[in-house]
Amino acid sequence: MTREGRPFERLLIANRGEIAIRIMRACREMGIETVAVYSDADAAAPHVRFADHAVRIGPPAASQSYLLGDRIVEVALASGAQAVHPGYGFLSEQASFAEAVEAAGMAFVGPAPQTIASLGDKLAARRSATSQGVPIVPGTFEPLPAEDPAAMEGIAVTAAQIGYPLLVKAAAGGGGRGMRRVDDPRDLPMAVATAAREALQAFGDGSVYLEHYVEGGRHIEVQLLGDVQGHIIAIGERDCSTQRRHQKLVEEAPAPGLTRDQRLRVHGLAVQIARAVGLRNAATAEFLFSRAGDFYFLEVNARLQVEHGVTELVSDFDLVHEQLWLAAGRPLSEAAMAAAAAAADPVRHAFELRISAEDPARSFAPTPGLITRWREPSGPGVRMDSGFREGWKVSGDYDPLLAKLLVVGPDRATAIARAMRALDEFETGGVQTTIPFHRWLLRHPDFIGGEGLRTDFIDRAWDPVPIRETAAREAARIVAQTVSEDGTGGAPEVAPPPTAGARPGGEGTAGWVRPKGPDWTHAGRREATERWS
Amino acid sequence: MSQNGPLRLTVAGSEDLVLEIVPGELAPATHRHPEVRPAVTSASDRLDGRRRYEVTIDGWVFSVGVESAARAALRDRATQAAAATGPAGRAVVKAQIPGRVVRLWVAAGDTVEKGQRLLAIEAMKMENEVRSPRAGVVESLSAVVGKAVELGDELLVVG
Repeated sequence: MTREGRPFERLLIANRGEIAIRIMRACREMGIETVAVYSDADAAAPHVRFADHAVRIGPPAASQSYLLGDRIVEVALASGAQAVHPGYGFLSEQASFAEAVEAAGMAFVGPAPQTIASLGDKLAARRSATSQGVPIVPGTFEPLPAEDPAAMEGIAVTAAQIGYPLLVKAAAGGGGRGMRRVDDPRDLPMAVATAAREALQAFGDGSVYLEHYVEGGRHIEVQLLGDVQGHIIAIGERDCSTQRRHQKLVEEAPAPGLTRDQRLRVHGLAVQIARAVGLRNAATAEFLFSRAGDFYFLEVNARLQVEHGVTELVSDFDLVHEQLWLAAGRPLSEAAMAAAAAAADPVRHAFELRISAEDPARSFAPTPGLITRWREPSGPGVRMDSGFREGWKVSGDYDPLLAKLLVVGPDRATAIARAMRALDEFETGGVQTTIPFHRWLLRHPDFIGGEGLRTDFIDRAWDPVPIRETAAREAARIVAQTVSEDGTGGAPEVAPPPTAGARPGGEGTAGWVRPKGPDWTHAGRREATERWS
Repeated sequence: MSQNGPLRLTVAGSEDLVLEIVPGELAPATHRHPEVRPAVTSASDRLDGRRRYEVTIDGWVFSVGVESAARAALRDRATQAAAATGPAGRAVVKAQIPGRVVRLWVAAGDTVEKGQRLLAIEAMKMENEVRSPRAGVVESLSAVVGKAVELGDELLVVG
C-alpha cells in the first residue's frame, strides 16, 4: 500500500558520499527536495551534484565542516528544510545535534535525543540490557580510570577476573575505533592508553571499558524500527562477522545457519532492548553469537547502518522511506509490519561488499589518491550505492568507504555467484581498493561453507602475499605484451592524469592502450584510439 | 626503447617484483584484457629512461615500470659499484601511507630489534604502527610527532 502525499517538502542531508546519495534517492522517489552540505574538499562531489540545493559549510577537515552541528542547523533553517537526516557517522549519534535540530523546529530523522544519549554510552546500554535480563558479554560497567597511572594495577586485577583475551572498547565508540584486543596481560596498559587516545580523538570522549573476547564468535545484528506511539519491530538480522581489526568488510542477510527459533530469539532480545529505551525511528542492536549458540548483547547503534541495504534487499522494503515517514510522526506502515512478520522466514539472500580505498596487501592501510578508473557493475541482482566517480580524488580527511556493492539472489549460493560476477565487472584504477580481498573471500571454502563466519577469521586466514604476487606477474606480462605490440613503444612519456570535470563522465578512450585481443573489436578499438590520440 | 629486445618490468609493491621478459615469450594467462594505462613517470623513471603504466589485475592496482633490460643491466653495474663504497646494510624506513606521525617510540642513537615498534602514523583516524625492518641503530630520525608525512617520505634510517 502506498501512502498519500509526502512526509516533508524539503530535507537537509548532514552527510556526504554514498550515504548522502542513498538518502537523496529516497527523497527523489518521495517528491522531497534535497539540500546537501559540503566542505571545500567536496565542492564538486557527486552528492553535491545529486542534490537539488547545496550549501558550503567549511574547510575540508570534518571538525570544521561535517561535524559543525550548529552551523548545519543554521544552514538547514535558512534553506527552509523541515527535517534533517544525519546518515551514519559524523553527527548521527550526537544527542546534542538531534536536540538542536528539534529545538529549531525541524524533525530529526533518527531516535529521540535522550535515546541517542543513553544508547551512545555503551556502558549505560550494557547496564540497561542487564536490568532487562538480556545477556551481555562479561566485562566492566564503568569507565576505566585510564588517565590515572596509579590505577593500572586495579585495572589489571579486573582484567584478570574477566579473563583473557580481552577487548578494550570505547564507551562512546563504534566502527572499531578505540578498540584493542589484548591477549597478554603485559600489553594491557599500552592497549588501554591507545584505545583511550583513539577514542578521545574519534569521539571526543576517551572513556574505555573491558569486555571478555569470545573466541570464534559471530557478529549478528538486528534491524529495528519504532514509531512515536511506541510500537517496535525487528526487520530481520544481518551477519557482519567478516571483519578486520573490528571493522566490517562484508555483511549478509539473513545470518546463515540460524534456526527459526534462534532468529526469533535474537529479534525478540533486540525488541526488548529497544523498548526499554523508547526507540523511535531506526536503530540496530548488535549481538555476539557464540559457538555454543548463545546470544550476547553488545550495543545499539541509534542510526541507519552502513549495511542497511542487505536488509532492504532481503525484505524488499525501503528503510529510508520508512525512516522519513516515522520522523514525520506517522505510525509504522503496513509494509513495515509485513516485513517484520516475514523476518523469521527469509526467502532471499543478500550480501554487501564494502569497496574502500584501502590496500588489502598492506594491512588495509588507507590509500587516498586520484581515481583514474571507475566502472561499476550492474545487471540482475546488483545494487551499487556509491559516492565516487572517475577523476575524483579520495581525500584522507574522511572515511575510506567509496562504495557498497550489494547483491541479492534467491539463496546464498546464487548471491555469491552474483557477487563474484559483479566483482569481475568492476573496473577500478588509480587507487587500490578492497576488491582483491572480496574476490578471495567469495572463493574461500570456509566462507562458502559458513565455518568462516567468525570475527577472527580474516585476521587468521587472509594472506595477501601469494595472491598479489600472482597478479603482479600477470600485470608484468600484460604490460610487456602491450608495449611490444604498440608500434610507438607505448604511450606518451607523461600522461596527464584525468582530472575532475576535464572529461565529462570520464569516458574518453584517447591515451588508453589496450593489448591486442583475440577478436576484431580490439583491433577496431585500437584503430579508433590511434586516430584520436 | 628497443621494441624487440628483452624488457625489464618492475611491478611496485612493498617489495618490488622485477621480471625480465622477452616480448612474445610469456603470453598473459588471462583471456580478459585489462586496459594498460600510461601513468605519470617519476623523476627517477625519467632519469633511467623508464616508462610507467598502470594496470588493474583481479582488483590489484599495479604501477609497472618498463625499460630495456640491456640498459637496466648497465645501470645495475653502476649502482652496485656505488653501493660497495656506501654504508652497507642501511635500511631507510619510508612512510607507506600518507598521514600524521602521532607516536615516536625511538630516538636517534637507540638500538632497535627487528620488528620493534618505531612510530605510529595516523591516517583516517586509525593508528598504524611502523616496525623496524632490521636490527641496528637509529642513525637519523626525520619523523617528528605531529608532522604530516606523504607516501614515500623518509621517516628514519636504521643502520
